[in-house]
Amino acid sequence: MDGQNQKKTGKQKAVNYAKWGYIFIIPFFVVYIIFTLVPQFLTIYNSFFETYRDGLTQIGPNFVGLDNYRAVFTPDSSGTIRILKYFANTLIMWVAGAVPQFVIAMLLAIFFTSYRLNIKGQGFFKTVIYMPNLIMAAAFSMLFFTLFNRAGPIQAILVQNGMIDQSFDFFAYKITVRGMIALMNFLMWFGNTTIVLMAGIMGIDQSLFESATIDGANSTQVFFKVTLPLLMPIFVYCLITAMIGGIQMFDVPQVLTNGKGVPDELSRTLIMYLNGYLINKNFGMAGAISVIILIITGILGGIVYRMLSAQYKAPKQKRKY
Amino acid sequence: MKKMITLLLAGMMVFSMAACGGGQKQETSAPATEAAGSEAADTEAAGGEASDQGKVFNIYAWNEEFKGFFEKYYTVPEGVTVNWIINPSDGGVYQQKLDEALLNQENAPADEKIDMFLAEADYIGKYVDSPYTMDVSSFGFTNADTEYEYTIKAASDQSGVCKGVSFQCCPAAVIYRKSIAKDVLGTDVPEEVQAQIDTWEKFDAVAAQAKEKGYYMTASFAETFRAFSNNCTTPWVDADGNLQFDDQITAWMDQTDNYIQNGYTLTAGVWDQEKTDQMYAKGKTMCFFGPAWYYNFCMTNAQDPEEGCPGDWCIVKGPQAYFWGGTWLLAATGSDNTEMLKDIFETFTSNEEVCSNLVEQDNQFPNNTAVVEKYANDPEYGNTAILDGQNDIAIFAELAKDIKWENHTNYDQLLNEGLQNKLQEYYNGSVDKETALKNFYNYVKETYANINVPE
Amino acid sequence: MNKSEKGRLKLMILRVIVYIILIFLCVLCLFFFYLMVINASRSNAQLSSGFTLIPKGHFIDNLVNAWTDASINIPRGMLNSLIIALVSAVLTTYFSALTAYGIHVYDFKGKTAVFTFIMAVMMIPAQVSALGFVQMMNKMHLNNNFLPLIVPSIAAPVVFFYMKQYMESVLPLEIIDAARVDGSGEFYTFNKIVLPIMKPAIAVQMIFSFVSSWNNYFIPALLLDKAEMKTVPIMIAQLRSADYSKFDMGKVYMFILLAILPVMIVYIILSKSIIRGVTAGSVKG
Repeated sequence: MDGQNQKKTGKQKAVNYAKWGYIFIIPFFVVYIIFTLVPQFLTIYNSFFETYRDGLTQIGPNFVGLDNYRAVFTPDSSGTIRILKYFANTLIMWVAGAVPQFVIAMLLAIFFTSYRLNIKGQGFFKTVIYMPNLIMAAAFSMLFFTLFNRAGPIQAILVQNGMIDQSFDFFAYKITVRGMIALMNFLMWFGNTTIVLMAGIMGIDQSLFESATIDGANSTQVFFKVTLPLLMPIFVYCLITAMIGGIQMFDVPQVLTNGKGVPDELSRTLIMYLNGYLINKNFGMAGAISVIILIITGILGGIVYRMLSAQYKAPKQKRKY
Repeated sequence: MKKMITLLLAGMMVFSMAACGGGQKQETSAPATEAAGSEAADTEAAGGEASDQGKVFNIYAWNEEFKGFFEKYYTVPEGVTVNWIINPSDGGVYQQKLDEALLNQENAPADEKIDMFLAEADYIGKYVDSPYTMDVSSFGFTNADTEYEYTIKAASDQSGVCKGVSFQCCPAAVIYRKSIAKDVLGTDVPEEVQAQIDTWEKFDAVAAQAKEKGYYMTASFAETFRAFSNNCTTPWVDADGNLQFDDQITAWMDQTDNYIQNGYTLTAGVWDQEKTDQMYAKGKTMCFFGPAWYYNFCMTNAQDPEEGCPGDWCIVKGPQAYFWGGTWLLAATGSDNTEMLKDIFETFTSNEEVCSNLVEQDNQFPNNTAVVEKYANDPEYGNTAILDGQNDIAIFAELAKDIKWENHTNYDQLLNEGLQNKLQEYYNGSVDKETALKNFYNYVKETYANINVPE
Repeated sequence: MNKSEKGRLKLMILRVIVYIILIFLCVLCLFFFYLMVINASRSNAQLSSGFTLIPKGHFIDNLVNAWTDASINIPRGMLNSLIIALVSAVLTTYFSALTAYGIHVYDFKGKTAVFTFIMAVMMIPAQVSALGFVQMMNKMHLNNNFLPLIVPSIAAPVVFFYMKQYMESVLPLEIIDAARVDGSGEFYTFNKIVLPIMKPAIAVQMIFSFVSSWNNYFIPALLLDKAEMKTVPIMIAQLRSADYSKFDMGKVYMFILLAILPVMIVYIILSKSIIRGVTAGSVKG
């Protein structure tokens, strides 16, 4: 590894430096293979077996082909295919949080970057709105539970003001439970999105705005005709990243409802469903659900990949190694 | 630098190979454990000598309750470290973690093996009927004839081999607020109160009277659950693995429907804060259902120095005799601290001084008939921590005589818990009863793949 | 003139509305935490007797009770979380930078495929391989061990992507050439020349991975069960389970406060660079 050695081999630069490329990426791949890829295959493998615990006795693994998948998609006594219900729950709660998240974030990004408005105290505002992003989701959710349960202070405040009846229960209605989850997701993410979108707007060439204004466009027209189209890639990137985060929604509803997804499992997410089988050691069913979630994220990931790889190709040509 | 990378890679290779190798070995050895388990226990115990005793004693538990008594009354031999591994019982977390540890017990290093673990009535059978617990006689412990019969039966496998002891006996009763009883019934004398609530019909009638006076009969829809479920004549799951509802469970559901509709109770769960808040002096609830451990475990609010109401409570048998819970101490196969196990078991069952202190200082009902009789017949004794000086031991002693151990399954904890959780959504108005039961069946299927649920 | 005055008035009104929105959002962000702090200063009995906006004098009592609680050993949990989060943060930034460097600087066969692969798996959540992961760790007796929570952070596609983006904007390949001419070895170049240039990106990613590791709940909850190994999120989730009714609520608020406090302190000190860091990776200037 000393300089002498390096100088000698420097002549056949192309060949020898390539070796270093491999060496540098080895740790990543070794760890990835051991801790993610192998477990991923194990997970898929498990999905074809009947394997669960009856007390302390391991049942199986017995090969059952696609039976677990069939079980996942078999409707229950009321005709509901549960995984679809949980997927819908996840989607609804995500949308309920993401729509205000993006609308508000877009508005704030415009406010903050507007020279005309010239908002003071931006540093403070940004610091505050970004803060919830760093909060432990489990703790935030636990906090909401203690605040919103029947014995908690929010109930007390609302009852004192006569806004609700003592018997009102935030955890008895799907609208309130989903609302709490959406609110938490909104609070945790809108600051982050604001800051990303802001950077996107600031990255747009100022001369474009100027020429648009000179051409007589008003601020609304500038926004829809100049800002928005140019911001689109970043906006879509944010959106899809948020969507993938949404599919993974777990900590917040899990802790808030203590894993029950009350009411009527209408706040139960896909990952909570998976977690239910995981903790009960029904690895066959857990495997099948994992694979289904993997496919869903695969589809979304594919879209993101297309966008990112387009970004990647551009600088590649400039490189000379 | 190069060397480091090579080393790192080599390390990872070994690591990954160990992973695969370890995996295969584990799979094949799992069934073998079953067969070898009990034999291993015997041989190990036979060869056990004082010098063989381990230096680390690992205890699995689901809360702090027994830990407190253990630290108070048991002197750990010098040089031994006691580790407590505590996981919450809710949602079956405790069982899951314990199962995992027991299944790995054979391969675990001596100091990491479980020596003793606690189990509740709702699932004790799962462990007792397995090779993961060992015969108490293998390390020289014999059950004292002062132990309650049912506590021994619960800790014994199907062939009658005993695997552990219970440090408490859990006959349960109705604990009522005297001031509220006085207002509702015109009396707060236990015998007179009992006469008015000694059947469910009468109990329900009193609930209506309490309601008229602005009180709740109970503070949780599930408060009376144990009084019913404990008198079931069929187990939750039949011999063919089908889920079944006992008449007592149905009766409880009917009663609860009635109570919720009429506002005799709250929609809070049995462990919810909303219920325990009812135990403050300002609470509006007349009756609570529980055994002796309930005082310290659930009624701390009643003992609050500022807002509590100690002394405003009395205890009576209520409509139906039952027992609730109980903490058994089981000896784990593979323990290298058998002498300590024997010592602990003796301390909490036959040491009269400890058992007496459990009564006097901790308001417990010990698993020792001699001590129980002593207090039951002692005119001087009375519970003043919560009750008004009433001799609760005398009441519990009467109830304890009738406790039978039957119709239990290994699934009881999560089935009881799941039924209550799913029905709670019905009682608070989120879903109709049919949906609540459907959700319960889905839950059962998800929790226990081998139980058949009605379609 | 009239027109411009009208415009100014309009702008003023707009400005007022904007400030109101901003203040409202800030209040919304802080409100729940304010309630938490207030309630952490009240005793259990005070908490059950309605709500007040004024703190009471039980803050220290609750802190002592929470800190010394026997079943939820929060100091231990914080130490465990700190160890895991710190080591993960160091590993993940170093190895992600290393991997990004390998792909950014060198040309080798299959490089595009490697990059494509990392990009493709970037979005796969850890949960979908959790089953196999937990199974494997149990068989290797690595449950109740910090290694499975730390080592996988070496392969973090998202951090890699950030580092890669950052290198593209700040790392001129001429520097590496120059270093080679001076006889610097490849690892030496990376450690002594490239890493210092990458400092801002590394700092930001260290903070983010520290936070995400500190807050991680799903996988640790499946692996850790020994009291002395538990991390903060597991302890917090435990508050939600049955024995909860036994708890002193003032203490519960204090636990939540303690769980988020360390990250908040770091944030208050470093908020500027954290906020700047959010954008550096996701947006290309």
